[in-house]
Amino acid sequence: FQSPQHDRDVSVSVIRLPHGPDGTSRGFDPNSARYQALSPISISTMGCGNEADLEREQQARVALREQYLRSLIAMVGHTIHFTMYERVNVSAFFDASDIDILNFQVSDLQTPLGVHREALLRCSDIISYTFEL
Amino acid sequence: MSEWQRKSPLEWQTYVNKEVKVTAAEKHEYKGWVLTVDPVSANVVLVKFMENGKVCVSVILGHAVQKVEIVNEGDDEMKEQLAHLFMPEESKVYGHEELEKKKSSLKTWLETNHIPVTEQGESQRTLCVAGVLTIDPPYGPEDCSSSNEIILSRVQSLIQGHLATQ
Repeated sequence: FQSPQHDRDVSVSVIRLPHGPDGTSRGFDPNSARYQALSPISISTMGCGNEADLEREQQARVALREQYLRSLIAMVGHTIHFTMYERVNVSAFFDASDIDILNFQVSDLQTPLGVHREALLRCSDIISYTFEL
Repeated sequence: MSEWQRKSPLEWQTYVNKEVKVTAAEKHEYKGWVLTVDPVSANVVLVKFMENGKVCVSVILGHAVQKVEIVNEGDDEMKEQLAHLFMPEESKVYGHEELEKKKSSLKTWLETNHIPVTEQGESQRTLCVAGVLTIDPPYGPEDCSSSNEIILSRVQSLIQGHLATQ
């Protein structure tokens, strides 16, 4: 998902949970070509279980994911400090994340080599990120 | 995939609202209150409430997490604080008549723009646009709900334009 920008005067927050595993789209669908190509081999689940347990697990997943998405929205417009591997530290404004949390789109990325106006950070290169509210 | 990433959502949920110490790759250590663990990436969102009233949020990427130790249980107050941290501001409370006026005004505006809109739900509080988007009180751009991103963004713009003329 992305925060709306460009020609709008005011940013309006859009809350959108990913489509469910219905085989036609993205999000939690473990069979989508993109997810399989780029993500870990399997989706986290208790596997087999009775219907009530699977329902509880899905509810937990929804609650956890919603809070994480809200944390991403809260980052927009703030300076984020990224701790990368090999003791590299950079900071940038957070713009957007892709749905599988594999890449972060950032702007004004401050690096030891200079400032990049727009950049894509690979989440696999990041150990942690911090920001203040 | 690390052990942490292999946990199930219910297991991750047991860490929420607890104070933890996270040991990550390259000997990094983090301490804070767990707000959530993203079930897609296993990223751990930690919160620290600082003395100056500010909040420090640290997120450790799931693939970098080596160990998570629970240090403290959170009380109800902490749970409340964490739950509301990223919630959008509480909206203004409108009276019934005011909401009716807003609804009618918006409905008329949409109809003028040749957009099919109906009222639905108990007490007809919700507007339904073209059968694919709903608008709840107080009928602002943030109150739209739809699985179609294009229609969502179009209608939000329209509502914003409408509110600008009010």
